[in-house]
Amino acid sequence: MSEFTREGLEPLATLGNDTPRIDAIERVTGQAKYTRDWKLPGMLYARVLRSPHPHARIVSIDTSAAEALPGVRSVITYENAQVVWGAGSVNGGRQYNDPTKDATIHRRYIFNNPVRFVGDSIAAVAATDRHIAEEALTLIAVEYEQLPFVLEPEQALEEGAPQVYAEGNLCPDFRGEFAPMISNIGDVEAGFAEADQIFEERYETGFIHNAQMEPRCSLAHWQGDKLVLYTPSQGISNCRHDTARDLGLQDHQVQIISKYMGGGFGNKNQNQDADLIAATLSRRAGVPVMLEYSRREDWLGVHGRWPTVQYYRVGVKDDGEVTAMEMRAYSGMGPYRKNSGGISGMDAYGCPNRYREIHPVYTNRTTSGNFRAPSEPHGHYGVENMMDEVAYQIGMDPVEFTLMNMRRPTEQQQFTNYSLEEVIRNGAERFNWQARRRVTPGSDEGPIKRGAGFSFMMFRAGVGTSSAIVRVNANEEYTLYVGVTDIGPGAKTTMGMIAAEALEVPLSQVEVVWGDTDRCPYSVGESGSRTTIMTGIAVVEAAEDLKRQIADRGMPTGSDVLIASATPTPTTDGMTRQCFGAHFVEVEVDTRIGATRILKYTTVHESGRIINPSTARDQIRGATIQGIGQALHEDLLYDPQSGQPLTPGYYRARHLTHKDIPDIDVHFIEVDDGYGPFGAKTAGESGIILAPAAVANAVANAIGKRMTSLPITRDKILGAMA
Amino acid sequence: MKALTNVNATSFAEAASAAQSARQQGQAVAFSAGGTDLLQQIKDGTDNADVIINLRTIGDGRSIGSDGAGIAIGGLVTLTELSQDPLVLSGLSALAQAADSVGTPQIRNVATLAGNVTQRPWCWYYRNGFNCFKAGGNECFSVNGENGQHAIFGGGPSYIVHPSDVAPALVAFDAVFQVTGPNGDREVSAEDFFVLPITNPERENSLTENELLTGVRIPTVSSSTVSTYHKIMDREAWTHAEVGVAAVIQRDGNQVQNAKVVLAGVAPIPWRVQAVEEFLAGQQIGEAVAREAGEIGLQGAQPLSNNAHKLPMISAAIERAILNLAAG
Repeated sequence: MSEFTREGLEPLATLGNDTPRIDAIERVTGQAKYTRDWKLPGMLYARVLRSPHPHARIVSIDTSAAEALPGVRSVITYENAQVVWGAGSVNGGRQYNDPTKDATIHRRYIFNNPVRFVGDSIAAVAATDRHIAEEALTLIAVEYEQLPFVLEPEQALEEGAPQVYAEGNLCPDFRGEFAPMISNIGDVEAGFAEADQIFEERYETGFIHNAQMEPRCSLAHWQGDKLVLYTPSQGISNCRHDTARDLGLQDHQVQIISKYMGGGFGNKNQNQDADLIAATLSRRAGVPVMLEYSRREDWLGVHGRWPTVQYYRVGVKDDGEVTAMEMRAYSGMGPYRKNSGGISGMDAYGCPNRYREIHPVYTNRTTSGNFRAPSEPHGHYGVENMMDEVAYQIGMDPVEFTLMNMRRPTEQQQFTNYSLEEVIRNGAERFNWQARRRVTPGSDEGPIKRGAGFSFMMFRAGVGTSSAIVRVNANEEYTLYVGVTDIGPGAKTTMGMIAAEALEVPLSQVEVVWGDTDRCPYSVGESGSRTTIMTGIAVVEAAEDLKRQIADRGMPTGSDVLIASATPTPTTDGMTRQCFGAHFVEVEVDTRIGATRILKYTTVHESGRIINPSTARDQIRGATIQGIGQALHEDLLYDPQSGQPLTPGYYRARHLTHKDIPDIDVHFIEVDDGYGPFGAKTAGESGIILAPAAVANAVANAIGKRMTSLPITRDKILGAMA
Repeated sequence: MKALTNVNATSFAEAASAAQSARQQGQAVAFSAGGTDLLQQIKDGTDNADVIINLRTIGDGRSIGSDGAGIAIGGLVTLTELSQDPLVLSGLSALAQAADSVGTPQIRNVATLAGNVTQRPWCWYYRNGFNCFKAGGNECFSVNGENGQHAIFGGGPSYIVHPSDVAPALVAFDAVFQVTGPNGDREVSAEDFFVLPITNPERENSLTENELLTGVRIPTVSSSTVSTYHKIMDREAWTHAEVGVAAVIQRDGNQVQNAKVVLAGVAPIPWRVQAVEEFLAGQQIGEAVAREAGEIGLQGAQPLSNNAHKLPMISAAIERAILNLAAG
């Protein structure tokens, strides 16, 4: 079920009504054109050759036999195509920042020597068909000198560990200094001195692939000095800018077309190496080139969520007040710093003394990068299991313990609004928390044990700059130009609905133009749950401007049009703007076979005003499902002897099937804090942040043993029960 | 993907001789019925077939029928057909349940009985292209590696687990396997069809080159026989058994006259637990007996470094399978 509580909110004409996606018909009838559906005259097909070794130096590469194969048009390797892939490795793992990228010490190229993980790309072939391209790869002779490798982040920092780079395995920060990321608030040692009890535990989480349905692909087409790139991207503006810089072009020389895509979940931010490889092959061959990755290549060659090891130490008074929190942690980044390696969660607590030290570490595993809420689910799992354990150890209800210790507005840091307490209390009541949780964990008689867990969060919902253009003609047909792509949440529909509301016309009168950098203005990109808020505000402002023009000059007549655009720079007046959520889960654990089944799943979110209830609900559900998969199933195992990945792909990573997915109740408490378009906040990443923490807490409550490692597979449960 | 030759066979005998002549010309050969797994293996490079002999063009081997001696099931019967056939449902519940537990509906709609029984292991070392025993090498990488899903019984020198759900049910029903080769037909008991790695670490069964499984015959099952297939999976669909139990019990009231208990997912072949069968004979089915049977099922277990968690699962699965068969 789903439910929307809108107390005190003015009902609107379009927003807040379940609205089918404006492109639903195209999608379900096969008319939607995804990148792989494009066919251009003379187009070649490309394939990439990848390292079979976790760490090796290429001694020689001989492409002559591949080049001689009939149908092969271009072969490029690390020797003759040294294109820097800026977004592939960045000091500090930061994004969208030209100076930081320029200063990056450990640069990544589209092809690399030495190779640093199984799947590192070293060459590519373009040929007249796919089969010839694949055959040509087998004809490239590569001689490797194998090097020692390291897979685990903690081991990578030990004395004498194999070195991924000469400077060592600790990743450089954004200044280029080899230091961990440290956040130090208050006086943590003083806080521990105040505590009556101190608790410690180690938590670890695995590598999770984004597992979006559509693997990477890219179609490059040069028209003179201009590159047209058809590619699935979660941010066409940033993809254009990154691609232009990597190829030594100006932004206007690159056109990104990303109309339909089969999911992203953070896997398709910015530009990817596929874009640069396709562009390089196409330029050399003089014809369009379509590069496609297989599922296995996509799994191993792009990126997924970073695995972590988190050591917590928490000081607490007998009355439940937390006086100090400390975390030392390690994030396995693979051999390139594509993203931060962040571990969030401690900042959801108000404790005045907090110390956090995160070591992002190079390893010879596949690269880590963005995945829906990049820093949050694994961090919330760690810290919220730590705190749940503390609550039970001191004999408190974890909900009451949270209400006592969670972050609240202060005079120094005010919020645009604050619903966390309401969200938690509402969820506890709906779920019947008191009846479902076991006051003594693991107290059910017999081997089938039930228990309940909860988790909570706040997540940034800040405003920022994006652009929109809106036009009206004499037939009162409105056209909205926004540089969004639809990675799944329905951005096109959402933008159209916001425009319709602001223009005071039905959605049917609004056509949305999207997904093309030559047609659409800058948009922030489908990452960080920002499109609805940031581009949405621009849509509202452009619409307001157009309405003023119409009021001043009347509707255009004949072939005239009126056009308005906006690039606002909104602020939240110095306040922090957050969305809030709490998840409550009841599980049943069959302790004889280590199986976990979810019996009840209740979510309560405050994401501001909900634009489109049906897609908002499904965002929470879909993200929660991913989080359950992270909690109970998914991992990427490596063979310790050879450094080979063993479990890539949907089958081996044990993703949830439809039959595994429980009913997920979704409740929104709707508010309008006066910021964001009509008060909308974020929803896309919220669900995944909470699921691993809540599920793991529920398992611990059922079996009476804390599960300190994700995924909570049966061998871990049976091991704990043995 | 490499170039392949497809040969449409019109009979099993023709398929066998086509395989023989292709091999005589030095080509690698694969038989394809449903092809659900084979084509992926070829794409992955874990099967190097030059010639695919397509069995879907054969008219025989597609029916399920009974005569005085029992039930005959063609090798090309799909798993969906097997799981929905009235004869199988009424007399061979364990077989119907096993077939219904395989993969997904899409897979079951094309995958066949013979293909399921003869499919290659799903050990991730083999499937990831390691040069292991199953790929013609001389090492089992699971021994010092990630062996959480590997063999508890009958392992060495290879520690794969047999991937079929259907096969343990067939062993439990004393099925006879019908085999066709270039030199004619032969029959072999289900139990003798499968071979341990100590005998042949490269293959899972006794089919010689150019032979293929064409069908099975199941002797008449008495009306006092009940059966079940209990499968523990890591998710609710599209995965092989972590532990499976096919149990066939002939009973009088609640008293066991004769039991066959065969495990899936724990050994390189469908693993008969004879100690459990012997223990059950003459016992009244009940919780204590079932529990003891589960414990006896662990006799001879030799877990590897990372798969001891399967032991309690084996006990629980045997116990629950037996309790499923208690008279209602």
